[in-house]
Amino acid sequence: MLLAGGQGSRLGGLTRNRAKPAVSFCGKYRIIDFTLSNCTNSNINTIGVLIQYKPFLLNSYIGLGSAWDLDNPFGGVHILPPFFGETEGSWYNGTANAVYQNYEFIDYYDPEYVIILSGDHVYKMDYTLMLKFHKEKNAEITLAAIQVPREEASRFGILTIDSEDRVTKFTEKPANPESDLVSMGVYIFNGPTLKQALIADKADYLSQNDFGKNIIPNQLSTGKRVFAYKFQGYWRDVGTIESYYQANMESLKDGHFLNIFDPKFRIFSNEDIFPPHFVGSAAEIENSLICNGCTVHGKVSNSILGAGVYVGEGVEIKDSIILPYVKLHKGSSVYRTIIGENAEIMGNCNIGARGQIAPGYEGITVIEDYHLITEGTVIESGMHIYRSRAM
Amino acid sequence: MSNAIGIIFANSGSDNLQGLAQERPIAAVPFGGRYRILDFALSSMVNSGIRTIGLVTPHQYRPLLDHLGAGKDWFLERKDGGLFILPGVMHSLAGSKDAFCIKDLQNNLEYLQKDYVENVLISSGDQIFNINFRDTLEFHKDKHADVTLIYKAVRPRDDDSLDQILLEVDGDQKVSKIHNKYSLESEELTFLKFVNIIIIRRELLLEIIEKYGSYGCIGLMEILASNIEVLEILGSPTNSSIGTIHTIKDYFDRSMDLLDFKVREQLWSGVDRTHTKIVDNPPTKYTAQAKVSNSLIASGCSIAGEITNSIVFRGVVLEQGCRIQNSIILPKCHIHSNAQTNYTILDKSVIVHGENVLKGSESHPLVVLKKTVI
Repeated sequence: MLLAGGQGSRLGGLTRNRAKPAVSFCGKYRIIDFTLSNCTNSNINTIGVLIQYKPFLLNSYIGLGSAWDLDNPFGGVHILPPFFGETEGSWYNGTANAVYQNYEFIDYYDPEYVIILSGDHVYKMDYTLMLKFHKEKNAEITLAAIQVPREEASRFGILTIDSEDRVTKFTEKPANPESDLVSMGVYIFNGPTLKQALIADKADYLSQNDFGKNIIPNQLSTGKRVFAYKFQGYWRDVGTIESYYQANMESLKDGHFLNIFDPKFRIFSNEDIFPPHFVGSAAEIENSLICNGCTVHGKVSNSILGAGVYVGEGVEIKDSIILPYVKLHKGSSVYRTIIGENAEIMGNCNIGARGQIAPGYEGITVIEDYHLITEGTVIESGMHIYRSRAM
Repeated sequence: MSNAIGIIFANSGSDNLQGLAQERPIAAVPFGGRYRILDFALSSMVNSGIRTIGLVTPHQYRPLLDHLGAGKDWFLERKDGGLFILPGVMHSLAGSKDAFCIKDLQNNLEYLQKDYVENVLISSGDQIFNINFRDTLEFHKDKHADVTLIYKAVRPRDDDSLDQILLEVDGDQKVSKIHNKYSLESEELTFLKFVNIIIIRRELLLEIIEKYGSYGCIGLMEILASNIEVLEILGSPTNSSIGTIHTIKDYFDRSMDLLDFKVREQLWSGVDRTHTKIVDNPPTKYTAQAKVSNSLIASGCSIAGEITNSIVFRGVVLEQGCRIQNSIILPKCHIHSNAQTNYTILDKSVIVHGENVLKGSESHPLVVLKKTVI
């Protein structure tokens, strides 16, 4: 069960027009590619994708799942939107509620184990190893866990474990975390355990119907065998502009954990077909990732250009993430900025202008998808620029 | 639904591609950074709404089938129609003069018999173009033509005068003559060159196969030329750029043409995409030492060297200090530090170790065979 319905409001302009899992990442990917490819590489072929917020672009991107080899005679990818039955129905109210409302889907396939995934994390993981651990420990619930720097830990659910890796305590986003082991939002449940937990959660009127806040702590308190599977490797939550920006920029570093060039554990994507990118005579590109269909006539350094981006003559792009189909015209400069898909920057603009701010302390500038920035515009560093809402 | 099915003759070979076509037919030669030459004919048909396409296979068809699979990336994996492999017969004899060999079609008669459509669109598989055939199919239907030949007005070039089929077309678009010689006496500066793309009524094609099937090796064009009086053969002009690839010089020149914005615009900027096998490579990575100008670079590369006026295919690794000039680097090549290439074509998976210098000339580019280690 892949939770892909969240609004992702902390990504600002990037999620105004699409669900967070459909946001472009590292040039050619979309965030959900990582989870879907993990499923492919782990031989999981029956997936329900729970959607709710602005689903059109996400739905059309996932399609039948064939881009990830997930189209199968049995199972396959199923998009699960909120729905009405004969007597009742409602929007998904929390992650647990979303799964609860689709229990018919799970019953239809009647699996021994259900893995709950999130569509907004960037990582490569073989879930079969986690399932093996789950079986070995004779667990009822297994949480994937990773160590993070302690100052970041309060953004996550904190796990306290005993010497057998059994979870003794789970606290969602505490102010003072007592360990640096955090939940990755990947849970394996035994089929009956999940059903029973969801029914109990539904009956609890005070519950916020959230896996992290309610289900896991409640199951712990009823004495269930809950274990933590320690994951070694690269894992990033890209739920905020800062973490999204950092995770993208990390992919430019050499020896990066998330080896997207590894042929044995491939990340699949549903890309638009484009010719190779063209680099003009005056272009200078350094330490950057460039996708198919780009045309580059200007200077690009420490940046990522998504598919089909046009960079005109004299344009300078530094430390920035340019999402697919963006056009940047002659003489504009862009610094520490995320430019949303299909946005167009006319000539001689200065995006992410440094002004009075001391070097190294600039904010990240964000331009919303489809925005048109008129000629000569100066946008101060750290601004978030949205389109006007008039239709 | 389209009122035509397609046939691509992917079995023309060439001795003039210096090893690029040694283990593969011309149709399967990689081109333009991420494509194979066949992709252009195939995509043009698909973009024209044709969803039933037969592919006449050459002698060495493994690379073609490897590339095509079930035709999914061209939207040809279907219940109704799809991609059909038509085993070709005249393996060794194929050249452009006996193009569209009737024997090849006779052996695959069922493909033509079992369909119900009016017309068959036939193309060779050795040309670079992006043409939408919808208008021509419409023209063919409106004029109740038996055959429509697509042609282009060209200036004669001394190097390719042998292989051409030329047309004479009257004011009513009717083809009055099909021949293969530039008439030396002619004052004209342009000639109407047949571009190896033809629309023919399916029933007529079946009649021709029945009548000429026992003739051994005879080409469709030869039959049309000798029946020009009795058939309604029309000509339809095209302005699109069409690059035929028969020699290594053709291959080099047509590849380098892609560095010209106008050529890329014609080929790739419209709504009709050129489809190809999708392998989901990551984006291409440039390091701080990379220096690239006027070049076409595919995905999945790792670039630390210097590239000028070149075409680099998918998954190529160029180490620091290497210099690639006027070259075509096919997929998965690895060029080590300080190696140099100029006017060189490296076939797939070539490894060039450090300090080596490979140099051809503009008229005779150097070709390095697949998997060579230098």
